[in-house]
Amino acid sequence: MSQIVPDAAASARPPAARRPVPDMVLALGLMAAVILVWELAIRLFNVSPFVLPAPTAVIRSLIASRARLAGAAQATAIEVVLGFVFASITGITVALVIVRFERFGRALYPLIVLFQNVPKVALAPIFILWFGFDLAPKILLIVVIAFFPVAIDMLAGLQSVEPSFVALMQSVGAGQGKILLRVRIPHSLPHLMAGLKVAITFSVIGAIVGEFAGASQGLGYVIQFASTQLDTPLIFAALVVVSVLGLAFYYVVELAERLLVPWAPKYEIRQRAA
Amino acid sequence: MQVAASGVPVVPAADIPAATNAAPAHIEARKIAVDFHLEGRRQRVLSEIDLAVPKGSLVSLIGPSGCGKSTLLKVLAGLIPPTEGRVSVEGIEPQAAAKRRIIGLVFQDATLLPWKNAIENAAFLLMTADASIAKSDAFARAAAMLKLVGLDGAERKMPSQLSGGMRQRVAIARALALDPRVLLMDEPFGALDAITREEMSRCLLDIWERTGKTIVLVTHSIDEAIFLSGEVHVMGRGPARIIETLSITLAQPRTEDSFTDPAFKTAQKRLRSLLIESHQRRPA
Repeated sequence: MSQIVPDAAASARPPAARRPVPDMVLALGLMAAVILVWELAIRLFNVSPFVLPAPTAVIRSLIASRARLAGAAQATAIEVVLGFVFASITGITVALVIVRFERFGRALYPLIVLFQNVPKVALAPIFILWFGFDLAPKILLIVVIAFFPVAIDMLAGLQSVEPSFVALMQSVGAGQGKILLRVRIPHSLPHLMAGLKVAITFSVIGAIVGEFAGASQGLGYVIQFASTQLDTPLIFAALVVVSVLGLAFYYVVELAERLLVPWAPKYEIRQRAA
Repeated sequence: MQVAASGVPVVPAADIPAATNAAPAHIEARKIAVDFHLEGRRQRVLSEIDLAVPKGSLVSLIGPSGCGKSTLLKVLAGLIPPTEGRVSVEGIEPQAAAKRRIIGLVFQDATLLPWKNAIENAAFLLMTADASIAKSDAFARAAAMLKLVGLDGAERKMPSQLSGGMRQRVAIARALALDPRVLLMDEPFGALDAITREEMSRCLLDIWERTGKTIVLVTHSIDEAIFLSGEVHVMGRGPARIIETLSITLAQPRTEDSFTDPAFKTAQKRLRSLLIESHQRRPA
């Protein structure tokens, strides 16, 4: 019936002469090269560890302070997870409200964009003033930093349903509520996942900034404490832990994306090839 | 051109098909005009449209792009209320007719939901229209319609795994699942390649012959219009109206031989000259 030629075209392609090096190997190789150059430069030019520690010094510090760093990482991770969850809920709610209550949404939208232009980092001391040194100000800071990409991406997803499909739904008597629930929300999920990936990295930044402004634990606190002690290797060790933490969180969200929206347009090419 | 300065279409007497006077029209439009508001300016996009589509017929609306043929189809579907005049489908307002599932719609883009497979997509509109229908009944009906459009075996495929032609077949099955008596199609094959397009034309003809539905097809392909329809309404621009209605006298059922029929060539020539003329009269 409609078996048009793609198979013939695929089989006509000559077998790959050599397999290309996987991206992952290239990335790790490049990283190793940068670390190697860094180490050599420190030794060659005799740079003081107070200014810039060699990678080996950072690793030594990582091992020496492992218990402390693990405790701090745990504290930061709790802030990141809680902040991210509340930021996501806030962002999703804002997007749904804007779409569902159109008039109110039009009034709300410029306000949100205006708020986005406030430097959030500057809010940290105010939140500390209001809520003290505990978890609450950090979570609030993460929410104000990270809800925006969630709201904007979710909104874009909700609004990008094809008008002709909406017309089709309306023609058989479906109301806005039903269209929202059965078409707009599922349609927006790939967009939402993109927003969540931005939000999770913002959440890590938010947690560190919150800890800078005033905290008694967490990786941000360790960094600040180490800088007062001129313990630069420990600063770098904490930075390594922050990066690994951020990377891990990012991939958790990426994994969730693969599981929740395998039909997302970005996977389409791979699906076709399969 | 047979159009008076006032914009009133003067259909040449010889071209009025005898059938329209006899059988009661399934879809009827009287003196339809549609105004759009663009940047505060009122613009008339359709004017003085009279249309009568006999029950069980397949008619085409053809015209230069942007002439308003899609707008007319949306008016017939009840998606755009006319500024003037009235439309009736089976004697009632088109919006009410759509709610009673008398009207099925197919657009140029298949607009399938990417998170649902072929059969779920085909059943989706039926389940939306009728909340009380059992899922198994809706799926049985959707499966039957997929078979009718030649997609049996592809029920579990996701839209991303289907070709453009197959996706459009699912969209047609989705409209047919409502069991509408009227099928309104807006350039349904416009986004497909030439070969797939011909194949889809034959598929549509087959569906029409088997179900006897009243079909209104918007197209910009002259050959498609002639091959498929009993009547072709040619639309002109600025504001759009029907400048001529052409009866296609090709024998039924239509086959490959229809393309070589002298009547095909005659209609082709006539439509070409009408379209070229209307295309050149582009509004400033």
